[in-house]
Amino acid sequence: MWYEIFKFELQYRKKRPATYIYFLILFLLSFGAMSSDVVQIGGGSGLVKENAPTTIATMMIILSAAMMMITSAVMGVAVLRDFEHHTESLMFTNPIGKGDYLFGRFLGSYLVALIIYLGVPIGFMMGEFMPWRDVDKLLPFNFWNYIQPYLLFIVPNVFFSGALFFAVGSLSRKMIVVYIQWVILFVCYEVGLTLAEDIEKQDLAALFDPFAISTADIVTQYWTVAEQNSQLVPFEGIILYNRILWVILGIAALVGVYFGFSFNVVRKGLFRKKKIKEEASTVNQIEIPVPKVSLQYSIGTNLQQLFSQTKFYLFSLLKDIPFLGIVICGMLILFVNSMYMGETFGTYTYPTTYLVLQQIQGFNLFFIIIVVFYSGELIWKERDVKINLIYDAMPIPDFINLVSKFLAMVFCYVAIIFALILSGVIIQTVKDYYNYELGLYFSRTFSSTLPFLVVFTLLAFFVQVMVNHKFIGHAIMIAFFITTIVLSNLGIEHGLIQFNSGSLGSYSDMNGYGHFPTAYSWFKLYWIGFTLILFVIAVVFSVRGSESILKTRWKIGKLRLSRPLLTLGIFCFITFSLSGCYIYYNTNVLNEYSNSDEREERQANYEKTLKKYKYLVQPKIVDVNLKVDLYPKERDYVAEGYYLITNKSDEPIPEVHIQLNGDKQYKVEELVFESGSTITETFDDFDYYIHKLNTPLNPGDTIKLSFKQTFTTTGFVESGSNTSVVYNGTFINNSNLPSFGYNESYELSQDNDRKDYDLPPKERAKPRDDKRELVNGFLGDDGDLIDFEIVIGTDTGQIAIAPGYLQEDWKEKGRHYYHYKMDKPMFNFFSVLSADYEVMRDTWKPEIDSLGGPVNLEIYYHKGHTYNLDRMMHAMKTSFDYFSKNFSPYQHKQMRILEFPRYASFAQSFANTVPFSEAIGFMLDIDDEDDVDIAYYVTAHELAHQWWGHQIMPANVQGSAVLSESLSQYSALMVMKQTYSEEKIEQFLKEELERYLKGRTRETKREMPLATVEEQSYIHYGKGAVNFYALQDYIGEDSLNIALSRFMKDWNMFDGQPKQGRFPTTADLYKYIREVTPDSMQYVVTDLLEDIILFENKAEKAEYVATSDNSYQVQLTVSAKKLEADSIGVESPVELNDWIEIGVYGQTDAGKDTLLYLQKHLMDTEQQTFTIEVDEKPVKAGIDPIHKLIDRNPKDNTKTVTEKESI
Amino acid sequence: MELKITNLSKTYSNGVQALKNVNLTISSGMFGLLGPNGAGKSSLMRTIATLQEPDEGSITFDNLNVLTQKEEVRKILGYLPQEFGVYPKISAEVLLDHLAVLKGVNNKKERKELVKALLHKTNLYDARKKNLGGYSGGMKQRFGIAQALLSNPKLIIVDEPTAGLDPAERNRFHNLLSELGENTVVILSTHIVEDVKELCTNMAIINKGQVLLEGNPLKAIDEIAGKVWRKTIEKTELEAYRAQYNVITEKMIAGKPLIHVYSDLQPDSSFQGVEADLEDVYFSYIFGNTSKELA
Repeated sequence: MWYEIFKFELQYRKKRPATYIYFLILFLLSFGAMSSDVVQIGGGSGLVKENAPTTIATMMIILSAAMMMITSAVMGVAVLRDFEHHTESLMFTNPIGKGDYLFGRFLGSYLVALIIYLGVPIGFMMGEFMPWRDVDKLLPFNFWNYIQPYLLFIVPNVFFSGALFFAVGSLSRKMIVVYIQWVILFVCYEVGLTLAEDIEKQDLAALFDPFAISTADIVTQYWTVAEQNSQLVPFEGIILYNRILWVILGIAALVGVYFGFSFNVVRKGLFRKKKIKEEASTVNQIEIPVPKVSLQYSIGTNLQQLFSQTKFYLFSLLKDIPFLGIVICGMLILFVNSMYMGETFGTYTYPTTYLVLQQIQGFNLFFIIIVVFYSGELIWKERDVKINLIYDAMPIPDFINLVSKFLAMVFCYVAIIFALILSGVIIQTVKDYYNYELGLYFSRTFSSTLPFLVVFTLLAFFVQVMVNHKFIGHAIMIAFFITTIVLSNLGIEHGLIQFNSGSLGSYSDMNGYGHFPTAYSWFKLYWIGFTLILFVIAVVFSVRGSESILKTRWKIGKLRLSRPLLTLGIFCFITFSLSGCYIYYNTNVLNEYSNSDEREERQANYEKTLKKYKYLVQPKIVDVNLKVDLYPKERDYVAEGYYLITNKSDEPIPEVHIQLNGDKQYKVEELVFESGSTITETFDDFDYYIHKLNTPLNPGDTIKLSFKQTFTTTGFVESGSNTSVVYNGTFINNSNLPSFGYNESYELSQDNDRKDYDLPPKERAKPRDDKRELVNGFLGDDGDLIDFEIVIGTDTGQIAIAPGYLQEDWKEKGRHYYHYKMDKPMFNFFSVLSADYEVMRDTWKPEIDSLGGPVNLEIYYHKGHTYNLDRMMHAMKTSFDYFSKNFSPYQHKQMRILEFPRYASFAQSFANTVPFSEAIGFMLDIDDEDDVDIAYYVTAHELAHQWWGHQIMPANVQGSAVLSESLSQYSALMVMKQTYSEEKIEQFLKEELERYLKGRTRETKREMPLATVEEQSYIHYGKGAVNFYALQDYIGEDSLNIALSRFMKDWNMFDGQPKQGRFPTTADLYKYIREVTPDSMQYVVTDLLEDIILFENKAEKAEYVATSDNSYQVQLTVSAKKLEADSIGVESPVELNDWIEIGVYGQTDAGKDTLLYLQKHLMDTEQQTFTIEVDEKPVKAGIDPIHKLIDRNPKDNTKTVTEKESI
Repeated sequence: MELKITNLSKTYSNGVQALKNVNLTISSGMFGLLGPNGAGKSSLMRTIATLQEPDEGSITFDNLNVLTQKEEVRKILGYLPQEFGVYPKISAEVLLDHLAVLKGVNNKKERKELVKALLHKTNLYDARKKNLGGYSGGMKQRFGIAQALLSNPKLIIVDEPTAGLDPAERNRFHNLLSELGENTVVILSTHIVEDVKELCTNMAIINKGQVLLEGNPLKAIDEIAGKVWRKTIEKTELEAYRAQYNVITEKMIAGKPLIHVYSDLQPDSSFQGVEADLEDVYFSYIFGNTSKELA
């Protein structure tokens, strides 16, 4: 019998156009994703091919999850449609078994769904064969690469979600409840995603993701490019368990529906029905005359009608169960996400209000769902229950209907916003943070979230009214969202065209909302004006009565164009067009606007036209003397002064090439060479000018170049407004000033973009023996060491700081001036900061005088940001202790840390000056028990740059970042060791290892070893920290420090000129390291610093016998494999003859692991057994237990030790 | 008080011509609009209730142009649509009060009294707290009339209010309708002849969008008095009779067809004279060929 029903189901679906439409949607999406850049679904990046097995799998999984709507539409209606079409009585009175009916319907629908989802692999495959595909980005076609993920992911995903939709649809008999399932599934996925951020909980996350998105992600997270291109996501391990779990849950849902489903047309209520009193019989009919009532039709009546209707709709929304479901799900995600809020390196930021507000923004997705669905629900409210004709004949003005529905939506948003704010306060309270900035909460949500929703709601109302079909209305709204994304990918990105544009930017404690509200308000006004026009049109066309043809609606609508409505429409139109004009005037007339394509084209042309000048010999700056007048309130500044420039080459320089800042906010009003010059060639497009000097600059000669540059803010820009010159917290650096010659950093950096303009792939760095770059420091070729002097004027109330020592400060005409001068040469790299600061001061005195004089320590911070000042201060002192003792004395007499607003989150080291973002360090909530002290670490790292970067200037070639960043990482780790335990360092290195392993999977060109790293932060920070830590462990911290101090002595820059006429490279550094390394350990230097080596270490077997009361013998079998990877991650085994640590853990009374034994052993065969005596009961044992070596699966390094069965 | 419908025509987008040049003049009192399903009654009613646009023609109510002064018409209108639903989870009292606000009864106290009186009048007072979802068809229909009577309407349109009601409910409903004020234009559309017979002083018969008869029911009966004849025949003879005579009704009595035939003279002696009633009038217009003769 079930087979008949199954067959009928297939027949029925075969005739439904929806079946084909769904297939087509999936097919087109997949086809588009594979064959074009317009549709993007988490595709491969960089070297990973576009049809790599992992890419295909990821895209399929994402599609199967994102297109849940289709699954729900197919599966949800399988039984539901009998109820919707009121055919249930006909069906259920037939002599069919419940099981047959349900099973047949389910199986039929499931098969149809699977066929529909075949659109995905078919679309992909077709896409791959399109002739315009770039062969370089594709692997040879492989049929199985498409079929395997379909079977492994789509078939079970559709089964589970389908079973769930089927069950819920059958039991609830309501489509809206089916839709709610998406939200719940989405919550599962979100929670999984949040858990996955915590490395420790990844297994859990992998298991509980219903669609296996995070599962596949976690399994392949460390896959190299080569592996991603060649291997299928394996059907084993956690993926297998995940699939089994969810298929079983799917079956459970089906079993549930079998027992829960009833053939009775009328069901017993879920809850016990209240006893209804029998209707009183007709006898006692009391005659009450119907009173005459006064009918009034005034504005007051209209307001009362509006109020009554709004209240009615609002309560119907707030009482709607699915609606509450969506809201509760959204809140749930908010709470879950807040667990990991503000995480950096395992440490959390204080839950400040702006951070909580960022989390609350995550609710916007749920808001969008509410906008789309409930706009439709409300517009169709009367018609859905067929009470519309009664309502329509009521004497209420036409606009009240739509306006009250709109207001109900708005009040409903307000209610949710209040709930969100309350949740935010609860989150803060739970985290023991009590600085609730309610003003910020309200201003942000009501000025940003609410207008955002209002605009979308007005649009949704318009769409619903015009198409006059609820589901098509929903579909059009969803299509609209997709179209906006596609349009912006196509370069249509101006805020006047991008629907509902306008962003309130980041909020910063230092700078508040800053300058963002002005532009934001205009854009919002513009879009509200626009959508109100749509709303007026919607009022005119809204259906009242039984006419649904657009022409007739217009005929009726014309009657509705009353004077007030017309006035409103005209008013909105005027608002819309005037604000549009004003915005255009600001963004495109007062300021320069270009879209990303135009910018790219200009970058490409810059390179094509001017690259020839790259190695043109130019003078070097040797002295900078500036007067910078900052006007923070106006966001303007004037920089006036001079460079002294010297010809350091051995040939005369007849022409100087001046590169000015391309941003039109900058203007150079004056640029005069001492000896006079004429401009012989002008490249206005690139702000590049060739000055012919009246007398050529001869070798060794020095002349003065005076200039005056202004930075002016007028009006506002379309997007990407300048956040370095702000009301409070200005932070600018010398890169904005006039410079010499071709600037390589203006080039297009993405090879994909470069290809579009026929440019060769970007060379990230020159080889280490490149003669021309060896003479350039990595901070640029405009100058080496300079003398520096500056006067900065700023508003009173702000402190202005630049490198150098404060000579004097004075107030004049309501302004505050600061005069700084550096006492010795520094690199041509300086910053100017100005803000309303509090200052914390201290002094560091070296232990012995030979290490230099005392150093004044200062932290300039925003009022209230005092949480970690002591940690930073402590870090500064410990750093100076360690570095001056082990490397060389500190070159300056002061050190200052300066907070700047959180528009960027980094810290940067200038000579005796370290700007440090508000977003890191200052606001960290560090628990010394559990967390790594990142404030301490970052401070130490930045201070280390005073040596690595300011005493040593790396040459601008491959490996330069090792000399600056990796050595700073190493130095900071050593400073960390002075204060914190080994476990903390291990905890920190785990994050760095993660950074390295993940980073290499996204490599866009080729993975380099440390020696020749080229702008690859995952290598010079991540691997640098891990490997230099291992290096000092193998050859000894003292030995390594001796090598570094020797290197420092020979290559430091403080004698003025670069040693040996050039700057150092890793090749130079490594010589010193090899010098202090015993022969037996030379291989370690090679492995760690010159090759890409990975280990697969594993504890195979661990047993112990108690030999006496406090003596235990552990028998440990471990295996090790050593692999060398090439630049795309192809691994080949290399001979194993390595010293690797073997360790045994016991447990303290407090239940913490503690090392009982740790010793390096020579592993010269793949598997070895060790017998180790320990004097406490062993718990865990293994190989490389504290992960000093790079291993992609570090979890299996240790194993629980079991007691050996006595024979 | 007079509702005047002139040359009203309407064709739906699917090509169905719902109204063909309808002309009616309706003055105060109960007016019955009689016609079979699909005759165009509801289209006409909706058009009068400002909810539908005719292609041609005009409707005026006293000085009001119904087609353009919709807002004004709605203020004096009470309308009970043919088919309507209710919000299932709201009680009658709450919804009626809400609708009263929409009607413009903005004095809270008056509104309360009004709702109470109407609930009593429609005998729903005891069930006023009950959710409308639990109402029976008759109760729902009574609720419908209650809302139509909010605000003392001058023009009441009730579209097929008795369809689907059991006889007791129908009676109760008739009682309700019959009490509607003298100074009100009440238009009742129905396909049940009894309704008109019992309630209406004036009527029109409408079929396929055309008005076949307008006038007083009694007069209409008079017109065909003595012209209706009946005969009980065998089933097999039915075709032959249909071909030969102007058969206006066929009923089964004890398993045998009883036919009524319209004819000025007694067709033959086997036919017996019948005292014509409104049903005969109705069917003679719907099925018979009498329209021309009477027009």
